[in-house]
Amino acid sequence: MSVAQTDPVLKVTDLTLRYSTRQGEVKAVEEVSFELAKGQSLGLVGESGCGKTSVANSLMRLLPDNARLVKGQVWLNGEDLLSLSDEEVRRFRWRRIAMVFQAAMNSLDPVYKVGQQVIEAIETHGVETTIDDAEERVARLFRLVGLDPQLMERYPHEFSGGMRQRAIIAMALSCDPDVIIADEPTTALDVIVQDRILRELKSIQQELRMSVIYITHDMAVVAEVTDRIGVMYAGRLVEFGNTADVFRAPMHPYTAALMSSFPSVSGERRPLGSLSGEPPNLLDPPLGCAFHPRCAYATEVCRRESPPQVSRGQQWAACWHPLDGQTSSTGNHDAY
Amino acid sequence: MIGYLIRRMWQMALTLLLILTVTFLLVQAQPGDYASFYVLDPDLPTEVKEQMRATFGLDRPLWQQYLIHMRNTFTGNFGVSFGHFPRPVMEVLLERLPRTLVLFVTATGASFYIGFLLGKAIAWRRGGFLEYAATISGTTLFTVFTPAFALMMIWVFAFKLGWFPVGKFLDPLVWRGSDVTANSVFSLMLITALAFAVFAFWVLFALKRKGNTGMKRLSIPIILVAALAIPLVWALSGIGTLALDILKHMVLPIVTLTLISFAGTMLLTRNSMLETIREDYVMAARAKGLPEKQVRDRHAARNALLPVVTSLIYSLIFAIDGSVIVESVFSWPGTGMTLLEAVRSEDMPLVMGAIVFIGLFSLLAHVIVDILYVYLDPRIRYQ
Ligand SMILES: Nc1ncnc2c1ncn2[C@@H]1O[C@H](COP(=O)(O)OP(=O)(O)O)[C@@H](O)[C@H]1O
Ligand code: SF4
Ligand SMILES: [Mg+2]
Repeated sequence: MSVAQTDPVLKVTDLTLRYSTRQGEVKAVEEVSFELAKGQSLGLVGESGCGKTSVANSLMRLLPDNARLVKGQVWLNGEDLLSLSDEEVRRFRWRRIAMVFQAAMNSLDPVYKVGQQVIEAIETHGVETTIDDAEERVARLFRLVGLDPQLMERYPHEFSGGMRQRAIIAMALSCDPDVIIADEPTTALDVIVQDRILRELKSIQQELRMSVIYITHDMAVVAEVTDRIGVMYAGRLVEFGNTADVFRAPMHPYTAALMSSFPSVSGERRPLGSLSGEPPNLLDPPLGCAFHPRCAYATEVCRRESPPQVSRGQQWAACWHPLDGQTSSTGNHDAY
Repeated sequence: MIGYLIRRMWQMALTLLLILTVTFLLVQAQPGDYASFYVLDPDLPTEVKEQMRATFGLDRPLWQQYLIHMRNTFTGNFGVSFGHFPRPVMEVLLERLPRTLVLFVTATGASFYIGFLLGKAIAWRRGGFLEYAATISGTTLFTVFTPAFALMMIWVFAFKLGWFPVGKFLDPLVWRGSDVTANSVFSLMLITALAFAVFAFWVLFALKRKGNTGMKRLSIPIILVAALAIPLVWALSGIGTLALDILKHMVLPIVTLTLISFAGTMLLTRNSMLETIREDYVMAARAKGLPEKQVRDRHAARNALLPVVTSLIYSLIFAIDGSVIVESVFSWPGTGMTLLEAVRSEDMPLVMGAIVFIGLFSLLAHVIVDILYVYLDPRIRYQ
């Protein structure tokens, strides 16, 4: 790589995305900015409907017809993704950014052999020039993700959910992309398979020094596999920092609430009461801080004005009354 | 897969039994007594009466006649046609069947191909001019009264423009003095067409399997050369003008049949395609960076094809109906017209033979569609 170690592989600035619907504009992504270094893994967390998939799809420029990128830039190795022509974007996809889809179960075409579908990507991007080399490559990838290479000759309906997910991971790795986005990669699987696949994905990521974005609503997953964490609420990034820092002392009340509502690693369930209600409708998000209707710390200013960005070391949050490490014991999010 | 096919064959056998029984009953239900009608007919020579009696067991009880009818069907013995006396029904039908097959297979193939291409295109680009034009003209043609439309085609393209002959299988003036029969020329044409189809398929698929990109690029030119060589060989063969005469007579009925039936496939493909476009694997194909055309053809359309093929059987039946009408309007002497003539002239042996033939033919079409489906859908192939 010609890029220096310290330069980010991926840099997103002010990304803003709207969907036009009959009811009005859905403000799905609002001024999201973050960076991702080579070999690093980032977790994007937040409840369902907070705009995580929209961010992921913007990075692939794989958006539905009613989506509109209002502003922002996505730099991948110094190249502005959003200024590329459609044809350039097509060559870019998978070769530079690949994706492990949320709907892995149905992401394989039922009428083609699984190996063939991986080869299709390799052929399209000219990663290997002969069929034999391409097949060899797929066999290697299958072994890497824990699939018997003979399964290349099988059809998707002969695969279990876990096997399909592994095949999709192999497919995502097939063109040596700079960044892989894993959008809720394991939600459809049972917990044991989920855990195994995630661990393997992490070890592959470290082995190949890839940059990975994990998208999930499951804080346990983030704690286990990511270096950095970005918390999204109502289309905005509300907290960002090193995973260890954020788990030790979350600054944003939403982060703290999310953490308290997942079962801890030791197994005992923490009280779920701290996060009631639902994320807002993004057609018309609340004024001021969008979290204020559900926030225990909300005051008058929260209802009126957008919160400022407050930093603590490498960690930041958008909040009028950020939690400091000391007072955090007043919430039910004890130290991780 | 074997299990699936056996199950289907079993259903076919039952259907066949049903067809045979219904034909038998239909003939029995004719007003008047079928047996005595012919036995008493003074115009029929005695030896024919004898032959009829023996062939159909006319003097036996009904249930025995039924069994004899079954046996005759399986041995291909339908007796002698009255209208084409003294030719056996089987001979008449075997002469006519290829003509119907050609009309029918070409028109069905063409309408399926056109319908699929159009359906695919209008589903991919919604709301364009093509969508309006294709949908409106397609549905109009699909619902129009077939004989009226066929007559209109004749009026425009045969009478007014004079591009094609008005009807029939050939023009006697062209054939005067030639020592070959129309049937032998037609058979040769069929063999040529079949050989070409097999060759083209082989080039396209056998070479593709090899995965050799150089050969892949050669396949289209090879087929084109073959396609150009065929008319040349025919032109030099001396019977080229005769073949051309038959071809000219074929165009109008085939075009008519195609036009009235392509819309069915088109609308089905469109609906099926609108479903598959939303599938995750189509999104995945796009995410992989495949060119749009490849996403559309290899993924969205390939999957949309499955339900369309299933319904192909209905369009087959539609086309069989259509071919009886179209054959009569164009005086095309195929099985359909033969059936109609036989009914009109009360040529009962020929009627029964023709109905059984058409029934067998649609069953065979069923089997072919089934096998095609199994081939197209791996989820059934590997059950
Ligand atoms: N194609 C679309 N048209 C209109 N609204 C959409 C569309 N896709 C997503 N949305 C809306 O955008 C918001 C963010 O959705 P999404 O990015 O899928 O969030 P997440 O992945 O965090 O669940 C949601 O309110 C969702 O309803
Ligand atoms: S800004 Fe106010 S309402 Fe929003 S999270 Fe912070 S304290 Fe709660
Ligand atoms: Mg999502």
